[in-house]
Amino acid sequence: FYVTASYKEQRLETRVSLLQSAVDEFNKARNDFCAKATEDEMKLLRFQRKLDEEKGAGLQGLSLQATAEVLLSLGLHKQAEQLYRDFRIPDKRYWWLKLTSLADKGDWEELDKF
Amino acid sequence: MAAHLSYGRVNLNILREAARKELREFLDKCAGSKAIVWDEYLTGPFGLIAQYSLLKEHEVEKMFTLKSGRLPPADVKNIIFFVRPRLELMDIIADNVLSEDKMHSPREFHILFVPRRSMLCEQRLKEQCVLGSFNNIDEYILDLIPYDGDLLSMEYESAFRECYLENDQTSLFHTAKGLMTLQALYGTIPQIFGKGDCARHVANMMLRMKREFAGTQNQILPVFDTLLLLDRNVDLLTPLATQLTYEGLIDEIYGINNGYVKLPPEKFSQKKQGEASKDLPIESKKLQLNSAEELYGEIRDKNFNAVGAALSKKAKVISAAFEERHNAKTVGEIKQFVSQLPHMQAARSSLANHTSIAELIKDITTSEAFFDKLTVEQEFMTGVDTDKVNTYIEDCIAQKDPLIKILRLVCMQSVCNNGLKQKVLDFYKREILQTYGFEHILTLNNLEKGGLLKPQTGSRNNHPTIRKTLKLWMEDANEQNPNDISYVYSGYAPLSIRLTQVLARPGWRSIEEVLKMLPGPHFEERQTLPSGLHKKRQQGENRTTLVFFLGGVTYAEIAALRFLSQMEDSGMEYVVATTKLINGTTWMKSLMDRPESQTA
Repeated sequence: FYVTASYKEQRLETRVSLLQSAVDEFNKARNDFCAKATEDEMKLLRFQRKLDEEKGAGLQGLSLQATAEVLLSLGLHKQAEQLYRDFRIPDKRYWWLKLTSLADKGDWEELDKF
Repeated sequence: MAAHLSYGRVNLNILREAARKELREFLDKCAGSKAIVWDEYLTGPFGLIAQYSLLKEHEVEKMFTLKSGRLPPADVKNIIFFVRPRLELMDIIADNVLSEDKMHSPREFHILFVPRRSMLCEQRLKEQCVLGSFNNIDEYILDLIPYDGDLLSMEYESAFRECYLENDQTSLFHTAKGLMTLQALYGTIPQIFGKGDCARHVANMMLRMKREFAGTQNQILPVFDTLLLLDRNVDLLTPLATQLTYEGLIDEIYGINNGYVKLPPEKFSQKKQGEASKDLPIESKKLQLNSAEELYGEIRDKNFNAVGAALSKKAKVISAAFEERHNAKTVGEIKQFVSQLPHMQAARSSLANHTSIAELIKDITTSEAFFDKLTVEQEFMTGVDTDKVNTYIEDCIAQKDPLIKILRLVCMQSVCNNGLKQKVLDFYKREILQTYGFEHILTLNNLEKGGLLKPQTGSRNNHPTIRKTLKLWMEDANEQNPNDISYVYSGYAPLSIRLTQVLARPGWRSIEEVLKMLPGPHFEERQTLPSGLHKKRQQGENRTTLVFFLGGVTYAEIAALRFLSQMEDSGMEYVVATTKLINGTTWMKSLMDRPESQTA
């Protein structure tokens, strides 16, 4: 458990590899939940980096929810949809998110679609 | 000045005076003019011991807060650092001292460690090559700080975290030492009861310390009859619930810090009509809250629903008193009236203050969000649907409500259900991580370690049994004229206080079963008094118990104990001591880990 603490301090992309060692430690400790969560975080970090490079969205370090929010507000619906599927965001929360962020933007057309 | 401390059953002013005397002695040791450099955290608690005027009498001319870099210029002979024994603070001090030396000013440096000096810190100073620059390294033993006539606190914020997460028992040592100091002033406490691992440790340490002092008999007539040590982890539920007493709500909403509360200024500015009403004071209004204020003493422990009635009654009394001036005919009567004026005016302004505060709180308590949250809390406490994912919590997460609120609710559900089903627990955890960010995985781990959040293990959910035996839920809680301690949470009777109540009568033997279900051992110790000191009890005289909460206590719990003291047939009065005054929010905060903010 102490592993994560030290790893969080590090910046940059060494983070991903450090998180990987955290996953190993969690697996050793047979803490399935934490291992899974850490893996998800790594996946999210990679996803964010990819989009940052492509679109300059400035996603690095945001939570999953916040990431999806930014994507929706930028009109990147396809990518948001992908997050929703990849990370299995519960329907309820995703609808809430989609509703509020689309309403904020006044994107009624997109809102009309579902 | 500190009159409110001496009203209570036990005169806590003695303790305060002892602390002041020691402080004076130290200050006099450093002759000449002085500047004090404060560890910021300490200024609040110190304010309760000694005002600036006292320091000034002892040639303290300047005060700074501790920060790295050069000290601000001051034309004084002595520089005194008042610090907690923390390594990171030592580095700052070393930095201060080194940059100062370069200027070749003939100065003397002193350090005063509060509450205790530590070898580790001195070692650190040595490594930084500054240990030699100090003329004096001393400790100022400040364990228990008197807060009110019946309340002592150590203001040791991290006690719960250290004891249960980090297995660090320093705070317990301080507690035991503090209790020894207390016994030196108020006499040996003949009976010690306790529940929980930490309580056991403290009691052991106390008994050992007593043995070390064997031979010197304490000849003071004991003021306290019983000491009850309670671990916070025996009752995790109570601090999670929203407090519903007046003082409790002030703390929940605005936070009470060292007896002071800061309030938004809007409500208070209109009162000074005419004089520049346009520029609102930007600084928030700071109010001191303790029983020295008569009105506050009356309403602080009431359920908030009863506060309105009490305030309006008070308003009538005061205006009636003002009306009396028309009846005053003779010079003597007028003179008497005038002599009461200052007192009445004070009462009136205090009434105005509290009416404003009550209005502020009312705005919040009548809001839908508050009501919804309370409903869910009460459902958990009565055991409704505690084994499923709660839709309200789910919605709150989706709407990104403050994380602390979520954590409080989830932990509450877990405690009321004696752990959550693995599936439910994982669902909550994933929701939290996805919404608030992965970094909170550390916080979640802490909560699990502290027992606040746990997966259900094989055994049955025993919370309903505990609830029934200890009567933790009272259907007909009377908020206006309470007849049971459950009024402080409008139905829920705090477990910790029930234990205290049962201990007084009929005794813990009657609830042996339940005690076994709660974590940690329960025990009883006796300390023998020198003969001749056994109190001859007069008929109808109440016994006094000191209740020590290891890991924090909430205002609502204090209110409940005060209520028990006032009950006529209880025959017991309570004085409360704790490591820290907490509420659910501050408590959660102390358990959270924020790696980002640490690096920043």
